[in-house]
Amino acid sequence: MEIENFTGMPLTREIYTVSRLNFEIRQNLEAGFAGILVEGEVSNFYCHNNKHCYFDLKDEYSKIKVVMFSEAGRKLDFRIEDGLHLILSGYVSVYEKRGEYQIIALSAEPAGKGALLLAFEQLKAKLDQKGYFDAAHKKPLPVIPERIGAVTSSGGAVIKDIITVLTSRYENFHLIVRNVNVQGPTSKEEICAAIDDLCEYGADVIIIARGGGSLEDLWAFNTETVAEKIYHCPVPVISAVGHETDYTICDFVSDVRAATPSVAAGMVIADKKEIVRNIGLLLKNAKKSVDDRIFLLKKELNFLASSRIFKNPEILLAARRQDFDFLQRRLNERANEIFKSRKQLFERTSDVFSMNRVSDRITLKRIMTSNLYARTGTAIKARCADLKNSVKTAIAALQSNSPVSVLEKGFCLTMDIDEKKIIRSVKSAQTGDKIKVFLKDGALLSEVLEIISKKIGYKE
Amino acid sequence: MSAEIEKLSFEQALSRLEGIVKDLEDEKITLDDSIEKFELGVKLSSHCLEKLNEAEKKIEELTRSEDGSLTTKDLKLDD
Repeated sequence: MEIENFTGMPLTREIYTVSRLNFEIRQNLEAGFAGILVEGEVSNFYCHNNKHCYFDLKDEYSKIKVVMFSEAGRKLDFRIEDGLHLILSGYVSVYEKRGEYQIIALSAEPAGKGALLLAFEQLKAKLDQKGYFDAAHKKPLPVIPERIGAVTSSGGAVIKDIITVLTSRYENFHLIVRNVNVQGPTSKEEICAAIDDLCEYGADVIIIARGGGSLEDLWAFNTETVAEKIYHCPVPVISAVGHETDYTICDFVSDVRAATPSVAAGMVIADKKEIVRNIGLLLKNAKKSVDDRIFLLKKELNFLASSRIFKNPEILLAARRQDFDFLQRRLNERANEIFKSRKQLFERTSDVFSMNRVSDRITLKRIMTSNLYARTGTAIKARCADLKNSVKTAIAALQSNSPVSVLEKGFCLTMDIDEKKIIRSVKSAQTGDKIKVFLKDGALLSEVLEIISKKIGYKE
Repeated sequence: MSAEIEKLSFEQALSRLEGIVKDLEDEKITLDDSIEKFELGVKLSSHCLEKLNEAEKKIEELTRSEDGSLTTKDLKLDD
């Protein structure tokens, strides 16, 4: 059964949720506006934490929100700011949370001369501050490069100009051309790859060349990518981009700037004729130095050879002869002096040893000897008498002190019966002991009747 | 000495030649040294001239082929 449709709405109603609707719109938009380019002026620029950038892109009548995520932002060669004219590439999407559609920008390039100039000045200031243009970093060019690299379009007038100039200077040069698109979106990557390839192939100098063009045409040579590649290039780089009046970042960062490709070709290799001339000149200078030297030495030699001494060598001999005479005379004189003094000494000595004087001296010595004999005899006799007296006195002293002489005086000596011990004290004897008492003419055998402990000469 | 000179690059030989010319101008150098240096200078200058003529004229175009290797071919210029 069918329900009547009062409102004109379909009977089988399909009701979207908001999320689903935004999701499907997003899918439609992303599919419908993928890979678009859009040009406009920047306003309300806001960069969150220096990462994702948000801004509006507008023209006279309309505007649209733009998001550029940090990965895309990092690749830019310039800073986006309000008022800048940009060409964005990207796609349209929906921020479902808010139901807002916006461009997701994947890359951006400045549009119009003003914007390009601004970007150019920004990058120039940045690289200058990093020291990329410092003279100290510039590498010297080889005089005779073995392999000249050229980064340019292989199909243009530029390469022909280069070849013409090279041929006129150095007919047997070796040039390696690495073809690149010198403008357009792929240009900067191609230029970088070409520099790498030429280095790998062994080029010892590289010319980067392009004919004149607008600022937009030359833009690849004003990008940070190319500037970094040139700055880090291990071999010297000559920049010849645009006309004489055009300056690019490539010119500033290269080791040498040439006004035109022809000028670059004139710098890259020395003029062979000039080199040959210079080598000849060097050799001539060397020869002249040696010749001058030999001339000078010869002159000196001639001068010496013509001097008086070499002409009349006798002069030298005469002086020597005089020296010799003088020395000989001195020698004779000295010898005479020595002889004389020795002779005098000898005469004095022989006088001392003359015969008369010797016999006198012997007689004197004899008298002295007999005197000595006499004196010695007297002395010995006196000494003997002294000794005899001394012996007598000693014997008398000995006799007066002997026990025998004591007995003579009336004292007695008491000994035990065996005559082994002298009894000196009453304590050495006991009543009834038999003792011997020696007198001057014999001994008395006695018996101790009583012991009286009383010293002689002491009163009780 | 000759073998050593053979190994020199053009720039090295030229700068040695320049050095020799300077040395020879020094009045303190002995005659023997100056003659020896002069002979070396002659050898260096002929080495330089040889170097100038040893290369062959070549104009090539360098390309990176699909397998990633570098190849060269003679450059054709359209007139």
